[in-house]
Amino acid sequence: MTANALTVRGLRKSFGGRTVLSGFDLDVAPGEVVALLGANGSGKSTALKCVVGLVRPDAGSAGVFGADLLDGSRAAERARTRVAMVFQQIHLVRRRTALDNVCAGALGRLPLRRSWAPAAFPRDLREEAMACLDRVGLADRAHERVAALSGGQQQRVALARTLCQRAGVLLADEPVSALDPSAAENVMSVMTDLARTESIAVAAVLHQPDLARRHADRLVGLRGGRIAFAGPAAEVSQEQVSSLYAVDVEVPA
Amino acid sequence: MSVLVTDRAPERLPVPPRRRSPRALAAGGAVIAVLVALHVAAWLGTGMDLAMLADGWHGMVRFVSEAFPPDLSWDPVVKDGLHACLVTLWIGLLGTTLSIPFTIVLCALGSRAVNGNAVVYQAARGVMSFLRAVPDVVFALIFVTAVGLGPFAGVLALICNNTGVMGKLWSEAMEEVDDGPAQALRIAGAGRAQLVAHAVLPACVPQLVGLVLYRLDVNVRASLVLGLFAPGASGSSSTSRSRSSGSTRCSPTS
Repeated sequence: MTANALTVRGLRKSFGGRTVLSGFDLDVAPGEVVALLGANGSGKSTALKCVVGLVRPDAGSAGVFGADLLDGSRAAERARTRVAMVFQQIHLVRRRTALDNVCAGALGRLPLRRSWAPAAFPRDLREEAMACLDRVGLADRAHERVAALSGGQQQRVALARTLCQRAGVLLADEPVSALDPSAAENVMSVMTDLARTESIAVAAVLHQPDLARRHADRLVGLRGGRIAFAGPAAEVSQEQVSSLYAVDVEVPA
Repeated sequence: MSVLVTDRAPERLPVPPRRRSPRALAAGGAVIAVLVALHVAAWLGTGMDLAMLADGWHGMVRFVSEAFPPDLSWDPVVKDGLHACLVTLWIGLLGTTLSIPFTIVLCALGSRAVNGNAVVYQAARGVMSFLRAVPDVVFALIFVTAVGLGPFAGVLALICNNTGVMGKLWSEAMEEVDDGPAQALRIAGAGRAQLVAHAVLPACVPQLVGLVLYRLDVNVRASLVLGLFAPGASGSSSTSRSRSSGSTRCSPTS
């Protein structure tokens, strides 16, 4: 039996009587990249937020490497630090340097006396963070403020932060929607490369089907909070993908 | 002439009338009526009378003209005045700086970003409201009974007042910070204190410093009033002079 890095079963969530997600299952193996496709409001982002605990699902379970994420126990809290997330809005601290931001990925395993300020970070963490920045090709910008970097570079710093977190699962919520096509291509390449070389399981919400086809191993399509299709990228037809964005799709209440 | 310019007038469409609900209109009218009524009541209640101001203008002129030419003799006027200014400045400076540690504590306890305990949160908010609600002059009166008349009482009063005001301003600045970066670090497993140190503070430190400078500005002026309790500060010298001699001489800050 191949151990999945991320396992999601029967996730359901409704906001104020409107079901945005129901019966959502997902398995991602280490080193695999899965793209979640779907129109706005189809439940993709909600699914990711449920897994990291930003949204509490009504039903269903999620686990990493066999450890439950959602049962509210101490073990779940610990397991959750193995899941990292990158966002469309990037969410780095803009006034801090790239290196300090990457170091912050390790906060979950640092005691407060080594993490009350960037100056307190241990030397081996700074060196690990430098290596993470090098992995995304930004070692030469380590001491620059994040605000001075371009959008694509900022998203790569965010990826380096997830490396420094030593996450086994990476959830990406529209990681390239705010980037120009070449920066988007670049960030996706870095992300899939990290998945392969570091054996990270990646689940990425994407709005560009062609980008998803080029970079992802599997595609999962969502429509109205339900899985419309799931399969290897090569086996999913163009029609199946187009049907997700069809104008006449009724979102069931 | 540009080739883009044509003789045709630009196309126009009638603007459809915007429907306003009668209830919204009534509510707007009611708000305006209440505001007008409040201002009329305030006008009557404070005895506003423009005729009185017009009749009595020469009193003001006499009062101001007595300050000219200013008495610029070094001793006792200018020397004492400068000394009083300096004491005023010191009261404002110490009152601001020494309130910062207390502000940090109250701010941390009274901010949802830092403190998850609802009872402590409400208590901290209550202390800040109390310190703001009590005028600094009242604090000064209380401290005078302990340390006697002098600038020291003024400093203590300012510390109390400024802790309340700056605590409120700081905790508001901290709550306005975009919570995206904090969310990202929470997912990475960061605790509350770590979130403050690495997501909230770096985003709002410039505002916090700006608020301290603004409070210093206000406090230096407030210490003029507190100087009434402090022989030697500029507030006391200007009042004692105008009372004793019936005229105002040059008093630099008042």
